[in-house]
Amino acid sequence: MVRVKSRYLLCEINVPDRSRLFLLDDRAVAAAVKAAVARMHGDYGAALCSIRFSVKYLNAHTGIVFLRFPKKCYRLLWSALPFITCIETRGQKIECFLNCLHVGGTIRTCQKFLVKYNTQQLHRMLPKCKSEEERSQVREAILKCCLTRGNKQEFGEESDSEDDEEQ
Amino acid sequence: MRREDETDETSVFRRVVLKNASPYHYMKICLVLDDESTKLSAVDLKLFILTGLKNLFGEVGAAISFDLLKYDEDTLSGLLRVPSRSLVKLWSSLTLLGFYQNQACAFRVLQVSPYLLSLTGNSRELKLD
Repeated sequence: MVRVKSRYLLCEINVPDRSRLFLLDDRAVAAAVKAAVARMHGDYGAALCSIRFSVKYLNAHTGIVFLRFPKKCYRLLWSALPFITCIETRGQKIECFLNCLHVGGTIRTCQKFLVKYNTQQLHRMLPKCKSEEERSQVREAILKCCLTRGNKQEFGEESDSEDDEEQ
Repeated sequence: MRREDETDETSVFRRVVLKNASPYHYMKICLVLDDESTKLSAVDLKLFILTGLKNLFGEVGAAISFDLLKYDEDTLSGLLRVPSRSLVKLWSSLTLLGFYQNQACAFRVLQVSPYLLSLTGNSRELKLD
Protein backbone atom coordinates (compact mmCIF):
# COMPACT_ATOMS: atom_id res chain seq x y z
CA MET A 1 0.00 0.00 0.00
CA VAL A 2 1.47 3.31 -1.00
CA ARG A 3 0.11 6.76 -0.81
CA VAL A 4 1.01 10.15 -2.12
CA LYS A 5 2.69 11.98 0.72
CA SER A 6 2.21 15.62 1.52
CA ARG A 7 3.26 18.04 4.17
CA TYR A 8 0.73 20.32 5.83
CA LEU A 9 2.00 23.66 7.09
CA LEU A 10 0.00 25.23 9.84
CA CYS A 11 0.54 28.96 9.48
CA GLU A 12 -0.72 31.98 11.30
CA ILE A 13 -1.44 35.17 9.35
CA ASN A 14 -0.37 38.20 11.32
CA VAL A 15 -2.05 41.48 10.42
CA PRO A 16 -1.90 44.90 12.09
CA ASP A 17 -5.68 45.27 11.94
CA ARG A 18 -7.58 42.10 12.85
CA SER A 19 -10.90 43.22 11.35
CA ARG A 20 -9.36 43.06 7.89
CA LEU A 21 -8.86 39.30 8.25
CA PHE A 22 -12.47 38.82 7.14
CA LEU A 23 -11.57 40.05 3.68
CA LEU A 24 -9.31 37.04 3.13
CA ASP A 25 -10.31 34.03 1.12
CA ASP A 26 -8.34 30.91 0.27
CA ARG A 27 -7.86 31.87 -3.37
CA ALA A 28 -6.16 35.14 -2.41
CA VAL A 29 -3.82 33.32 0.00
CA ALA A 30 -2.99 30.71 -2.64
CA ALA A 31 -2.26 33.43 -5.20
CA ALA A 32 0.03 35.26 -2.73
CA VAL A 33 1.98 32.07 -1.96
CA LYS A 34 2.32 31.25 -5.64
CA ALA A 35 3.52 34.76 -6.47
CA ALA A 36 6.13 34.65 -3.68
CA VAL A 37 7.39 31.24 -4.79
CA ALA A 38 7.58 32.38 -8.42
CA ARG A 39 9.57 35.45 -7.40
CA MET A 40 12.03 33.57 -5.20
CA HIS A 41 12.43 30.34 -7.15
CA GLY A 42 11.45 31.35 -10.66
CA ASP A 43 9.82 29.03 -13.18
CA TYR A 44 11.16 25.97 -11.37
CA GLY A 45 9.43 26.94 -8.14
CA ALA A 46 6.22 27.94 -9.91
CA ALA A 47 6.12 24.53 -11.56
CA LEU A 48 6.64 22.73 -8.25
CA CYS A 49 3.93 24.89 -6.73
CA SER A 50 1.44 24.02 -9.43
CA ILE A 51 1.47 20.26 -8.82
CA ARG A 52 -0.27 19.55 -5.53
CA PHE A 53 -0.26 22.83 -3.68
CA SER A 54 -3.53 23.96 -2.14
CA VAL A 55 -4.94 25.97 0.73
CA LYS A 56 -6.81 23.35 2.72
CA TYR A 57 -8.37 25.48 5.41
CA LEU A 58 -8.62 29.14 6.28
CA ASN A 59 -10.06 30.51 9.46
CA ALA A 60 -10.84 34.19 8.94
CA HIS A 61 -11.58 34.71 12.64
CA THR A 62 -8.22 33.57 13.96
CA GLY A 63 -6.12 33.89 10.82
CA ILE A 64 -5.08 30.25 10.79
CA VAL A 65 -4.33 28.67 7.45
CA PHE A 66 -3.38 25.13 6.37
CA LEU A 67 -1.17 24.86 3.32
CA ARG A 68 -0.58 21.55 1.57
CA PHE A 69 2.72 20.98 -0.24
CA PRO A 70 4.14 17.87 -1.87
CA LYS A 71 6.53 16.22 0.58
CA LYS A 72 9.33 16.08 -1.98
CA CYS A 73 9.78 19.82 -2.24
CA TYR A 74 8.07 21.36 0.77
CA ARG A 75 11.30 22.80 2.16
CA LEU A 76 11.95 24.76 -0.99
CA LEU A 77 8.40 26.12 -1.10
CA TRP A 78 8.44 26.83 2.63
CA SER A 79 11.55 28.99 2.20
CA ALA A 80 9.52 31.42 0.07
CA LEU A 81 6.81 32.00 2.70
CA PRO A 82 8.68 34.66 4.74
CA PHE A 83 8.77 36.84 1.63
CA ILE A 84 5.01 37.32 1.63
CA THR A 85 4.39 40.85 2.86
CA CYS A 86 0.91 41.52 1.58
CA ILE A 87 -2.08 39.64 0.25
CA GLU A 88 -4.24 41.17 -2.44
CA THR A 89 -7.95 40.49 -2.23
CA ARG A 90 -10.92 42.27 -3.77
CA GLY A 91 -8.76 45.14 -4.95
CA GLN A 92 -7.36 45.72 -1.47
CA LYS A 93 -3.89 45.06 -0.17
CA ILE A 94 -3.67 43.52 3.28
CA GLU A 95 -0.27 43.85 4.87
CA CYS A 96 0.65 40.71 6.71
CA PHE A 97 3.28 38.08 7.34
CA LEU A 98 2.98 34.34 7.74
CA ASN A 99 4.23 32.64 10.87
CA CYS A 100 4.63 28.89 10.56
CA LEU A 101 3.56 27.12 13.75
CA HIS A 102 3.71 23.45 12.84
CA VAL A 103 4.59 21.07 10.04
CA GLY A 104 2.61 17.84 9.92
CA GLY A 105 2.11 14.84 7.71
CA THR A 106 -1.67 14.80 7.98
CA ILE A 107 -4.38 17.34 8.63
CA ARG A 108 -5.26 15.42 11.78
CA THR A 109 -1.88 15.94 13.46
CA CYS A 110 -2.04 19.61 12.55
CA GLN A 111 -5.48 19.89 14.09
CA LYS A 112 -4.30 18.19 17.28
CA PHE A 113 -1.40 20.59 17.48
CA LEU A 114 -3.70 23.56 16.91
CA VAL A 115 -5.99 22.53 19.78
CA LYS A 116 -2.96 22.10 22.07
CA TYR A 117 -1.47 25.38 20.94
CA ASN A 118 -4.69 27.30 21.55
CA THR A 119 -5.03 25.78 25.04
CA GLN A 120 -1.47 26.83 25.78
CA GLN A 121 -2.17 30.36 24.62
CA LEU A 122 -5.26 30.49 26.79
CA HIS A 123 -3.32 29.38 29.88
CA ARG A 124 -0.76 32.05 29.09
CA MET A 125 -3.36 34.78 28.71
CA LEU A 126 -5.80 33.97 31.52
CA PRO A 127 -3.53 35.01 34.42
CA LYS A 128 -3.00 38.36 32.70
CA CYS A 129 -6.67 39.28 33.08
CA LYS A 130 -6.79 42.24 35.43
CA SER A 131 -10.41 42.44 36.45
CA GLU A 132 -13.11 39.88 37.12
CA GLU A 133 -15.03 41.36 34.20
CA GLU A 134 -12.34 40.44 31.70
CA ARG A 135 -12.15 36.96 33.11
CA SER A 136 -15.85 36.45 32.72
CA GLN A 137 -15.64 37.78 29.18
CA VAL A 138 -12.99 35.18 28.36
CA ARG A 139 -15.11 32.47 29.98
CA GLU A 140 -18.09 33.53 27.92
CA ALA A 141 -16.02 33.41 24.76
CA ILE A 142 -14.89 29.89 25.59
CA LEU A 143 -18.45 28.80 26.24
CA LYS A 144 -19.45 30.19 22.87
CA CYS A 145 -16.72 28.10 21.26
CA CYS A 146 -18.07 25.02 23.04
CA LEU A 147 -21.45 25.55 21.39
CA THR A 148 -19.83 25.27 17.99
CA ARG A 149 -18.18 22.03 19.02
CA GLY A 150 -20.35 20.28 16.44
CA ASN A 151 -18.57 22.15 13.68
CA LYS A 152 -15.25 21.03 15.03
CA GLN A 153 -16.39 17.42 15.05
CA GLU A 154 -17.40 17.73 11.44
CA PHE A 155 -14.03 19.16 10.65
CA GLY A 156 -12.34 16.22 12.32
CA GLU A 157 -14.35 13.77 10.28
CA GLU A 158 -13.45 15.67 7.18
CA SER A 159 -9.76 15.24 7.89
CA ASP A 160 -10.31 11.53 8.50
CA SER A 161 -11.91 11.09 5.11
CA GLU A 162 -9.01 13.02 3.64
CA ASP A 163 -6.61 10.44 5.07
CA ASP A 164 -8.68 7.63 3.65
CA GLU A 165 -8.54 9.14 0.21
CA GLU A 166 -4.81 9.24 0.30
CA GLN A 167 -4.28 5.70 1.48
CA MET B 1 44.07 8.47 2.17
CA ARG B 2 47.44 9.34 3.56
CA ARG B 3 50.61 7.35 3.47
CA GLU B 4 53.92 8.41 4.91
CA ASP B 5 57.33 7.04 4.39
CA GLU B 6 58.78 6.37 7.80
CA THR B 7 62.35 5.47 6.91
CA ASP B 8 63.41 8.79 5.45
CA GLU B 9 62.03 11.82 7.21
CA THR B 10 63.48 14.47 4.92
CA SER B 11 61.56 13.42 1.84
CA VAL B 12 58.16 12.30 2.90
CA PHE B 13 55.88 10.66 0.41
CA ARG B 14 52.40 11.89 0.99
CA ARG B 15 49.34 11.25 -1.05
CA VAL B 16 46.16 13.19 -0.36
CA VAL B 17 42.88 12.20 -1.94
CA LEU B 18 39.87 14.44 -1.57
CA LYS B 19 36.53 12.73 -1.67
CA ASN B 20 33.99 15.02 -3.33
CA ALA B 21 35.37 17.91 -1.42
CA SER B 22 36.34 20.24 -4.22
CA PRO B 23 34.62 23.56 -3.57
CA TYR B 24 34.33 24.63 -7.20
CA HIS B 25 33.60 23.16 -10.58
CA TYR B 26 34.91 24.59 -13.82
CA MET B 27 32.99 24.58 -17.08
CA LYS B 28 34.27 25.32 -20.54
CA ILE B 29 31.35 26.63 -22.57
CA CYS B 30 30.80 27.90 -26.06
CA LEU B 31 27.91 30.06 -27.26
CA VAL B 32 26.53 29.29 -30.70
CA LEU B 33 24.51 32.12 -32.25
CA ASP B 34 22.36 32.07 -35.35
CA ASP B 35 23.94 35.21 -36.71
CA GLU B 36 27.67 34.70 -36.37
CA SER B 37 28.59 38.35 -36.84
CA THR B 38 27.04 39.30 -33.48
CA LYS B 39 29.56 40.63 -31.00
CA LEU B 40 29.22 39.83 -27.35
CA SER B 41 31.42 41.22 -24.60
CA ALA B 42 32.24 39.38 -21.39
CA VAL B 43 29.84 41.58 -19.42
CA ASP B 44 27.03 40.87 -21.89
CA LEU B 45 27.63 37.15 -21.60
CA LYS B 46 27.55 37.20 -17.81
CA LEU B 47 24.38 39.29 -17.83
CA PHE B 48 22.81 36.89 -20.31
CA ILE B 49 23.59 33.86 -18.12
CA LEU B 50 22.36 35.74 -15.06
CA THR B 51 19.01 36.60 -16.64
CA GLY B 52 18.62 32.95 -17.59
CA LEU B 53 19.29 31.92 -14.00
CA LYS B 54 16.83 34.48 -12.73
CA ASN B 55 14.10 33.30 -15.08
CA LEU B 56 14.49 29.66 -14.18
CA PHE B 57 15.39 29.80 -10.48
CA GLY B 58 14.23 33.26 -9.44
CA GLU B 59 16.10 35.46 -6.99
CA VAL B 60 17.65 32.47 -5.26
CA GLY B 61 19.11 31.37 -8.58
CA ALA B 62 20.32 34.86 -9.42
CA ALA B 63 22.26 34.85 -6.14
CA ILE B 64 24.53 32.01 -7.29
CA SER B 65 28.07 33.36 -7.33
CA PHE B 66 29.66 32.15 -10.54
CA ASP B 67 32.61 33.74 -12.32
CA LEU B 68 33.60 34.09 -15.91
CA LEU B 69 37.32 33.39 -15.59
CA LYS B 70 38.32 33.63 -19.21
CA TYR B 71 36.48 34.72 -22.32
CA ASP B 72 37.38 34.82 -25.96
CA GLU B 73 35.19 37.21 -27.96
CA ASP B 74 36.12 35.76 -31.36
CA THR B 75 35.08 32.20 -30.65
CA LEU B 76 32.44 33.13 -28.03
CA SER B 77 33.87 30.53 -25.69
CA GLY B 78 34.63 30.99 -22.03
CA LEU B 79 35.52 29.38 -18.76
CA LEU B 80 33.09 29.45 -15.85
CA ARG B 81 33.81 28.77 -12.20
CA VAL B 82 30.83 27.78 -10.08
CA PRO B 83 30.42 26.38 -6.54
CA SER B 84 29.91 22.61 -6.79
CA ARG B 85 26.49 22.68 -5.16
CA SER B 86 25.13 25.10 -7.76
CA LEU B 87 26.59 23.30 -10.76
CA VAL B 88 23.34 21.56 -11.67
CA LYS B 89 21.32 24.77 -11.44
CA LEU B 90 23.73 26.70 -13.63
CA TRP B 91 23.97 23.90 -16.16
CA SER B 92 20.22 23.49 -16.49
CA SER B 93 19.67 27.22 -16.93
CA LEU B 94 22.37 27.27 -19.62
CA THR B 95 20.58 24.46 -21.40
CA LEU B 96 17.27 26.28 -21.35
CA LEU B 97 18.65 29.56 -22.71
CA GLY B 98 17.36 29.55 -26.28
CA PHE B 99 17.21 33.15 -27.42
CA TYR B 100 19.66 36.02 -27.29
CA GLN B 101 18.04 39.30 -28.43
CA ASN B 102 15.42 37.49 -30.52
CA GLN B 103 17.88 35.25 -32.30
CA ALA B 104 18.20 31.57 -31.64
CA CYS B 105 21.23 30.55 -29.65
CA ALA B 106 22.58 27.55 -27.77
CA PHE B 107 25.22 26.91 -25.16
CA ARG B 108 27.56 24.02 -25.79
CA VAL B 109 29.16 22.70 -22.63
CA LEU B 110 32.51 21.43 -23.84
CA GLN B 111 34.16 20.26 -20.63
CA VAL B 112 33.33 20.11 -16.94
CA SER B 113 35.79 19.31 -14.20
CA PRO B 114 36.40 19.98 -10.52
CA TYR B 115 40.04 20.74 -11.35
CA LEU B 116 41.02 23.68 -13.49
CA LEU B 117 44.13 21.90 -14.68
CA SER B 118 42.16 19.18 -16.43
CA LEU B 119 40.63 21.75 -18.76
CA THR B 120 44.01 22.52 -20.34
CA GLY B 121 43.74 19.59 -22.70
CA ASN B 122 40.81 18.02 -24.44
CA SER B 123 41.13 14.44 -25.58
CA ARG B 124 38.38 14.94 -28.12
CA GLU B 125 40.46 17.46 -30.01
CA LEU B 126 43.66 15.41 -30.00
CA LYS B 127 45.32 15.09 -33.38
CA LEU B 128 47.30 11.90 -33.70
CA ASP B 129 50.05 11.94 -36.23
